[in-house]
Amino acid sequence: MINFHPDLVHLRAFAQGTCPTNLALMVSAHVDMCPRCQALVMQAQEEIGSEVFSASSDVIDTPPDYNDMLQQIMQSPAFEVPEVKAISNILELDGKRFELPRALARYSEKTGNWSRLVGKLWQAPVDLGQEGQANFIYMEKGGKVPEHTHKGTEFTLVIDGQFSDGLADYDCGDFTIMDSTNKHMPFSEADEGCLVFTMVDKPLYFTSGLARLLNPFSQLFFK
Amino acid sequence: MLVGIPLESKHSHVVAPKDCADEMSAYLVLVGQSRCQRSFAEVFNYFAPRLRSYALKQMGNEALAMELVQDTMSNVWQKSHLFNAEKGAPSTWIFTIARNIRFDMLRKQRNRKEDICADDLWPVLCEQTADVNEVSLDEQITLQELGVLFEELPKKQREVIEAIYIEGKSQQEVAEQFNIPLGTVKSRTRLALQRLKEMLKDND
Ligand SMILES: [Zn+2]
Repeated sequence: MINFHPDLVHLRAFAQGTCPTNLALMVSAHVDMCPRCQALVMQAQEEIGSEVFSASSDVIDTPPDYNDMLQQIMQSPAFEVPEVKAISNILELDGKRFELPRALARYSEKTGNWSRLVGKLWQAPVDLGQEGQANFIYMEKGGKVPEHTHKGTEFTLVIDGQFSDGLADYDCGDFTIMDSTNKHMPFSEADEGCLVFTMVDKPLYFTSGLARLLNPFSQLFFK
Repeated sequence: MLVGIPLESKHSHVVAPKDCADEMSAYLVLVGQSRCQRSFAEVFNYFAPRLRSYALKQMGNEALAMELVQDTMSNVWQKSHLFNAEKGAPSTWIFTIARNIRFDMLRKQRNRKEDICADDLWPVLCEQTADVNEVSLDEQITLQELGVLFEELPKKQREVIEAIYIEGKSQQEVAEQFNIPLGTVKSRTRLALQRLKEMLKDND
């Protein structure tokens, strides 16, 4: 059951096409998994569309002569729908198979190797080009990310399984945004563990005991 | 809602967006069916200037705005046969096309690698429908034979296929039944059908 959704402002900006690309990717993946937000985005698109194209919308100043454009367009042939090439949306780790939402399917192949982090944590980095880097993080049952806060912003989407972080319990499809005001310690007690897709724009800042020793290296992890 | 008002009176006012939507929808369908140029001109004349106003506000640049208008309206012409009047209003469809084109234009402008392109983020309304219904299963096969093959499918795919093809549910109903997004129902169906097809080939 999904309890954590993107803010309405973010959904609207996503529908509008004005939110930052990395956030848009997270929202898009969440929307794939969440019928509620899917409906909200559809509705927003409808509203924005009818606003932009309302009969009374003002048409600015002297319009150009559209005739050439119109004629030129009508010369072009109909678009042929390319045969849908099936992109595998299955992400594999250690014999486990995870089904990725549509928006993330293309990363099932682009994912670098899985590496084992501290304890029962696995990480597979995803190169987003100039948008930076994202990670699939898999917590085995009993896996814990040491307590940390964030210098920047951390987006997390639960792809499979459940985890908790001392603040709340998260289920498949849940989406959260954490920043410097949130301190948490993600861990999974689910039998099947938990796969999340996460992005941070600045390294995490570990806050508890020995984990502080990790700070100089934190950009090696969840960057 | 007032009852008993003659239909006529609804139309005696200035064209309400809704009425206009139906009209534009009908034109678009005609363009899609028969490449009707007159209908397209109607659509173009309504949408192009409004799109230009929007683009000017968003992009603040005449040349870019006109590029957006041209690319969007070209798409409308070329993809009109994909427009599905039952799935939404023309204004929604055309807006989503323009939004996606604008996104890709801005990225190109900033010299961004086109790693994440608009179609990844927003599958366009109409193109989402180019799916399952186009994949037709060989009708010769009996349910019993199919049943044997079904056993080989992953459970999640099998459930979806059974609900659609055996219980006759719509994809939307299946999404609700299993509490999964429509997109997942579609992708599971597609993957399952592909798998089944392959298995059928091997069986021959
Ligand atoms: Zn949601």
